[in-house]
Amino acid sequence: MNSKSEIPCIPLDKPISWEDWLRGRRARRETSKLVAPGILRRDSSSKDRKLRKLFNRERGLPFTPTEKL
Amino acid sequence: MDSQVIQKGLADISAEQDPTLKSIKLASLCGALWRERGVELVVVGGSAIEFLTDGAYASGDLDLCHLTAATLAIRDRQELMGQLGAKGGPRNWQVAGMFLDLLGPAESFARTPYRKLDAPYGPVVVMKAEDLLVERVLVSVYPQPDQTARDCARVLIAVALRNQIAMNWSEVKRVALLPEYRNLVECEALVQQVADELKIGNPMHPAG
Repeated sequence: MNSKSEIPCIPLDKPISWEDWLRGRRARRETSKLVAPGILRRDSSSKDRKLRKLFNRERGLPFTPTEKL
Repeated sequence: MDSQVIQKGLADISAEQDPTLKSIKLASLCGALWRERGVELVVVGGSAIEFLTDGAYASGDLDLCHLTAATLAIRDRQELMGQLGAKGGPRNWQVAGMFLDLLGPAESFARTPYRKLDAPYGPVVVMKAEDLLVERVLVSVYPQPDQTARDCARVLIAVALRNQIAMNWSEVKRVALLPEYRNLVECEALVQQVADELKIGNPMHPAG
């Protein structure tokens, strides 16, 4: 990365560092929400029973809000 | 891997409340242990798309396949997952407050590299974005229209169009034309739709 303000791209041919992946999270989420707002997690699946049992009737942990990424 | 490192990692993963970080860290720790036994694991499906997009899509389970021709024998798998305090098996485990599913050999058709993320306990190998996209578009249409899968594909396209993940669009075309998918028309239409919404040129279009 040449500039701290640049959004790191997940590259094709080399690993992305942990720091760069973390730094790109918010931008990726913001882009995602431009075309698919809200939570996209499926309402149900064949794994429903075990997931809801483990996650207090949900299908996973709540997602971190965009502003906290 | 030293057992103290494993225990420290497990404590970190168990305490993690961000579902995406929790999942990546588990893939990292688990992948490192399997790698020591000669088996390379790859994150597939919704978990892989979550790692590449942060699209708020994945559930509380992590889907993995093995890249190497052979996987571990059932006994070895159970012993290894036992080091992580896992319950269940031999293909699905509950570990560190989530579920981990081992789905078998990875199905990949793209000629691009697997994506790699340098995570805290070792590299996480992620399914190729080109395979993920073509597969998700297929699932959004067959066997029945599926809005969640369509949204997921749209998210992957959007993040790629904005160059937040590298996507080889020629390879997307080639994979979509394969007999295994035959869904180039659907892929092109969805990429065009998202490109129009974002007011970005369509890289699958000759003028893009």
